[in-house]
Amino acid sequence: MAAETKLFGKLKTAEQEHEDPKEQLMFDPRPREELNRMVMEMMTTTTKKFWLWAIGLGVGVVVLLFGAWGYMISTGMWVTGLRRPIFWGVFIVTFVFWIGISHAGTFVSAILRVFKAEFRRPFTRAAELMTTFGLAAGALYPLIHLGRVWVFYFMIPYPNARWLWVNFRSPLVWDLLAITTYLLSSTIYLYLPLVPDLAMARDRTTGIRHSAYKILALGWRGTEAEWFRLRKAIQIFAFAIIPVMFSVHTIVAWDFAVSQVAGWHSTIFGPYFIIGAILSGVSAVVTILYILRSTLKHMDYFLRPEHFDALGKLILVFSMAWAYFFFNDYLLGWYGGEAAVRQILTLHATGPAAWVWYLMLICNMAVPWLTLWNRKIRRTPWLMFIITLTINVGMFAERYTIVPLTLGHQRTPFDWGVYTPQPVEISIVLGTFCLFTFLYLITSRLIPMVPVWEVQEGQVAHTLRKIGKAEVPTVTELD
Amino acid sequence: MAEVSIAEKWGLVVDQDRCTGCNACVVACSMENNVPFTGEDNVAFGRGTYWIYNKRMWEGEYPRVAPAFQPVMCQQCGSAPCEPVCPTFAAVHSEEEQINLQVYIRCIGTRYCANNCPYHARQFNFQDPDIPEPMNSYLNPDVTVRSKGVMEKCTFCVQRIVGGRQTASAEDRPLRDGEVTPACVAACPSGALVFGDLSDPNSRVSQMAQNERQYKLMDELGTKPKVTYLKGGGRNGG
Amino acid sequence: MSDKITRRDFLKIAGAGAAVSAVLTGCGPMSRYIVRRPYTEMPEYNQTGLNTYYASTCRECAAGCGIIVRTKEGRAITIEGNPQHPLNRGRLCARGITAQQGLYNPDRVIGPIFQARGAAGRQAKTTWDETIPLVSDALKSPADQVAFLMGTAPDHLYDLVNELTTAIGAPAPLRYSALASFEGRTTLQEAANRTFGKPALPYFDLANAEVVFSFGANFLETWLSPVSYSAAYGDMRQARPTRRGYLVAFEPRQSLTGGNADEWIPIKPGSEGLVALALARLVAEARGEAPSAAARSVDPTAVAEAAGIEPAKLAELARLFASSEHSLAIPGGGAIGQHQGLAIAQAILQLNVVVNNLGMIGGVFLTTSEQPATTLTEVSNLVQKMNNSQVKVLFIHGTNPVFELPKVLGFAEALAKVPLVISFATFPDETAMFSDYILPDHSPLESFGYQRLLAAADRPVYSSIQPVVAPLYDTRATADVLLAAAAAAGKPLPYTDEVDFVQQKIVPLISAGGFYSAPEIQTFWSRWLQYGGWWVTEQGLDADISAASGSIAAFNDPAALEEDKQFYLVVYPTQLGDGAGANRPWLQEMPDPMTTLTWNTWVEINPETADKLGIHDDDVVRVTTPFGAVEASVYRYPAIRPDTIAIPFGQGHTALGRWAEGRGANPAALLPAAVNEAGDLAFSDVTASIALTGKRRPLARVENRGGVYGEH
Repeated sequence: MAAETKLFGKLKTAEQEHEDPKEQLMFDPRPREELNRMVMEMMTTTTKKFWLWAIGLGVGVVVLLFGAWGYMISTGMWVTGLRRPIFWGVFIVTFVFWIGISHAGTFVSAILRVFKAEFRRPFTRAAELMTTFGLAAGALYPLIHLGRVWVFYFMIPYPNARWLWVNFRSPLVWDLLAITTYLLSSTIYLYLPLVPDLAMARDRTTGIRHSAYKILALGWRGTEAEWFRLRKAIQIFAFAIIPVMFSVHTIVAWDFAVSQVAGWHSTIFGPYFIIGAILSGVSAVVTILYILRSTLKHMDYFLRPEHFDALGKLILVFSMAWAYFFFNDYLLGWYGGEAAVRQILTLHATGPAAWVWYLMLICNMAVPWLTLWNRKIRRTPWLMFIITLTINVGMFAERYTIVPLTLGHQRTPFDWGVYTPQPVEISIVLGTFCLFTFLYLITSRLIPMVPVWEVQEGQVAHTLRKIGKAEVPTVTELD
Repeated sequence: MAEVSIAEKWGLVVDQDRCTGCNACVVACSMENNVPFTGEDNVAFGRGTYWIYNKRMWEGEYPRVAPAFQPVMCQQCGSAPCEPVCPTFAAVHSEEEQINLQVYIRCIGTRYCANNCPYHARQFNFQDPDIPEPMNSYLNPDVTVRSKGVMEKCTFCVQRIVGGRQTASAEDRPLRDGEVTPACVAACPSGALVFGDLSDPNSRVSQMAQNERQYKLMDELGTKPKVTYLKGGGRNGG
Repeated sequence: MSDKITRRDFLKIAGAGAAVSAVLTGCGPMSRYIVRRPYTEMPEYNQTGLNTYYASTCRECAAGCGIIVRTKEGRAITIEGNPQHPLNRGRLCARGITAQQGLYNPDRVIGPIFQARGAAGRQAKTTWDETIPLVSDALKSPADQVAFLMGTAPDHLYDLVNELTTAIGAPAPLRYSALASFEGRTTLQEAANRTFGKPALPYFDLANAEVVFSFGANFLETWLSPVSYSAAYGDMRQARPTRRGYLVAFEPRQSLTGGNADEWIPIKPGSEGLVALALARLVAEARGEAPSAAARSVDPTAVAEAAGIEPAKLAELARLFASSEHSLAIPGGGAIGQHQGLAIAQAILQLNVVVNNLGMIGGVFLTTSEQPATTLTEVSNLVQKMNNSQVKVLFIHGTNPVFELPKVLGFAEALAKVPLVISFATFPDETAMFSDYILPDHSPLESFGYQRLLAAADRPVYSSIQPVVAPLYDTRATADVLLAAAAAAGKPLPYTDEVDFVQQKIVPLISAGGFYSAPEIQTFWSRWLQYGGWWVTEQGLDADISAASGSIAAFNDPAALEEDKQFYLVVYPTQLGDGAGANRPWLQEMPDPMTTLTWNTWVEINPETADKLGIHDDDVVRVTTPFGAVEASVYRYPAIRPDTIAIPFGQGHTALGRWAEGRGANPAALLPAAVNEAGDLAFSDVTASIALTGKRRPLARVENRGGVYGEH
């Protein structure tokens, strides 16, 4: 008991500590030109380490991803660990994982924007980039996992001389449409707020970069009319992309939920997957922010413990929501009493790969619940980095439990199977991690990673006003 | 799929009381349908390709132990779980024969159908068949040799159904009961398999499917299988 | 040469490729002489896209099922049973269905070969013109120093060699197959001789029996004629509207037949004879008759305890057997392949006498009498002669003694002492590798011939054999080789060639009252080929049986074992037959019915015993008998006595092509050379010990261990 009281005591003192508003980015303004300079420096500073990483990751993409994939295409899927009855393995797991990651950008950027959460301002871009690149990495998997990828276009509905059409009853076609829609809309959504920053970069560069930014900035001059239209467009997109985001992961969940497979055909899979995606996405944002903060010049000015704090709270909430859906899924499956489902649920916890299931529970519930209630932990970036990384390991384990482990124990015990990922699969999975990181790394030196105009806008809107003797932080409504 | 009223409705009856589990059907099917042998490592890994195979479970404890043989092939479901999930219509319902077909050339290998088949009757070609010359000489020209990356499964020997129908139509007569037999039925040493047209109430298969011992595999899933099993064993099993 | 076949290649082969290929027949295979002509001249019997069917006989085991081979563009495509054939009535087992994999096997011997003994790589091709004089010289050796060793099928070649040996004064050909040993054919026939007074293989009317007791007869998988017995089994179960037949199997290791039985009684090996006698006593008493003297001498309760059955169970089974109208007891394989096997077989046959089903529906009949195979005693004598250098020339056809015979018999060593060994093998099997010459016979699907005497046929049958494709390679019918050589040796037989021989042999059938006849041989010949043989329409079994007074020797009690150290050893044949099936990839890939294992050898052991000894699945163990040892992976088999282990026969080849070589272990190394009173191999009263080797080698199983046994 004593220890507990002590803990509370600590917490209280932390709360009671007077926080200097200057610690917050919005109340620590710098001149406009200074911010622009910082962002430009951030973009143009490259170290030897950076190039080593870039080359390493580039080689990783070529060898681990495309090399292994090419090898798999030429020799056949026997190099994977797939076997009857487990026809989907770590490719689909990683596919769902990346689609989950891609929810971060939209969620952090669009939802926080819609709800006017001011702490979002410095990292919306970083989050949106995650969406686009996460999707790019994830969208490869529906191709990678095909037995005959060279005829992937059979899945695309286009008029053809063979009079063949796609089966719109198949969730895989829904997937295709949903993912392309999401990829397109999230790219546009990334691009729109980027335009003023590109114009800023255009004005501060020369040579080939200047020309490139000139084209990309679409002749942005910063007139009132342009700002008005841009705000309007962002506003519309922010609202419109939210249902797209929800639908995408719901459809990914339907890949499983509409099937006949015991343990998959659960009506709760849609929201369950969305919550899981947001949990893993927001966690991934924190992970990336930590990396950006520690590698990019001047980033520690823009990203501060307050941001980690705010995102940490979000993660805690979503971890609890995830747990709620998780138990709902299990409880109702168990209560439904179908022998096969019960067996699967039991085998998740007792079967040959039960450690994956426990890993999921520990990483997704135990770790965040035990740590994130603590403000100090939330405000310690490197701790947050480790915690969020752990959560994403847990989310990977969750998808792994749902896909191969559930498939391995279906209704006929004679046909059960245990799945072990094989080197080629692991290589491809690592390859897409390389791809994601590589794209992110390169892009971080090509576009302003901080939406500098949004930060400036926020800093202008935030002021400390004296009311009586106290200084009170105030915000001006912009829209 | 919409219900289509069609003359033919092929069905199979498996009399488990006659079935000895000898696996002649497995080999007959493989030789007829160019099912490739995959070798020891692949079988050990769970990639042996069998369009029909015996699911042998042990019943009881020593010394009252006995194998329960259940030959399982594609059940040719009337409401097949594999069909709606295929994005390219490679798993389709044939209107004429009322069976599930796999269009190999259309298959892109998503393997969704295989996950969704509760009977695990669908097989995937993890690699190209390795049949050294001249052993490829016995491959049946009526059946496609599947390349790597496509799903395959029992077709009720649709090539024989079509062949039988063509012969009958050339002779200007209806198909006779028992004229068309898939390879497994033709081979079955103990006569456990009976094949025929379920839409003809007088066919042998229709009669047998009415047997009081009859049951369908996983009937509760509503797949409407065209394969009927007759319970076997027991002191007075029928 | 591309090892893989793509779809495109396949279409090429199926279509245009066939037109340019010149290896296919230009003449109907049923014609007498085979002519090679380019396929651009399409013969009228064979049109592209149309099937041509040929009736022939399956040569994969000695049962002799009738087959119909579907050919297309000169290639054998599928093999099915001949629906008219009285033996199998359209059915066929896995072995027959995969016969094309023998025909088109890439490892066949493609022409006559001379080789320096046993050494691989020192082979040289030769020609038939060079080898015929050689065979003829060999035939001119002193007659008593020429020996022929053949397979067990009673076919035309056996008849021809019989005539040849008679003509040159050599000893009659020996016929051996491991399968015949495992079936206990000779013992069965001798037991029938002693029990019924006629030396004939008994025919068991399984289809009409109501209560069947099988003592070690795995008639659903390998015994005598599995296809016809499987068909009869199906009928026994379900063909009668009123009563479902009841099958009880007495065997220490549950075979496929035991698995399908309503009751499997795991009796102690060696106690079969006592159990049969005890049953005979109980059955006779239940029927109110006096038991025979031998039966009276046993005490059923003591026997039941010695055999590991509850006495009440034995009594219940006896009442069941006594009360049924059609009871039948079948002695087979494991039960009679023991030192006392002959007496055991007699005791079991005696059960039929007790219920008086001799010559009755659902009872025992007798088939034609002829020795079904050479006894192991005679084979041992041959080995003895070879060792004493009394054999100058050994001809081997249709059998693989180096592989099949118990190693302890020393056939391979004796072979080295024979100056000239000529093998007619189609495949480079172990024996062929030890020969001086391999003069390859045609594959059975390329040959003419017939098979008489089908062990489970219920009537006189001659099953015809004809080529369904033109020979693929430079092979030659052994009959032709021998006829030519005999003529060259100055001892000509009155036949021009193989076809002439077969035709002359079947001439008497024209008027023998079969289901067809013809005015002359040519017409008869074409029908003979068309129908797949000749047989009579009516059942023609010898129903005139009565019990002879043959007395039964007293039985010893089963051998005592040191618990958990010594085990009864059961060696049983599988779908690979006598091992010749091991080079058919689909027979290898076919899951063993009981274990679902493929492609290897395993040791079956009761899980309880395995737990006691700390043996896990897939552990490699060393099985040792006084005669040798083998190593194989363990399969924990729930349907075997805890004091018994079992090993399947057929793997462990050191030759025979890519699919057979170096796979599994050959339990022939474990077997004794001992024989029972009838001269059959006493293979099933061997005790063995097992020891862990510390190695693990996973077996290729189709089942999932976790799902089936709850172990992961």
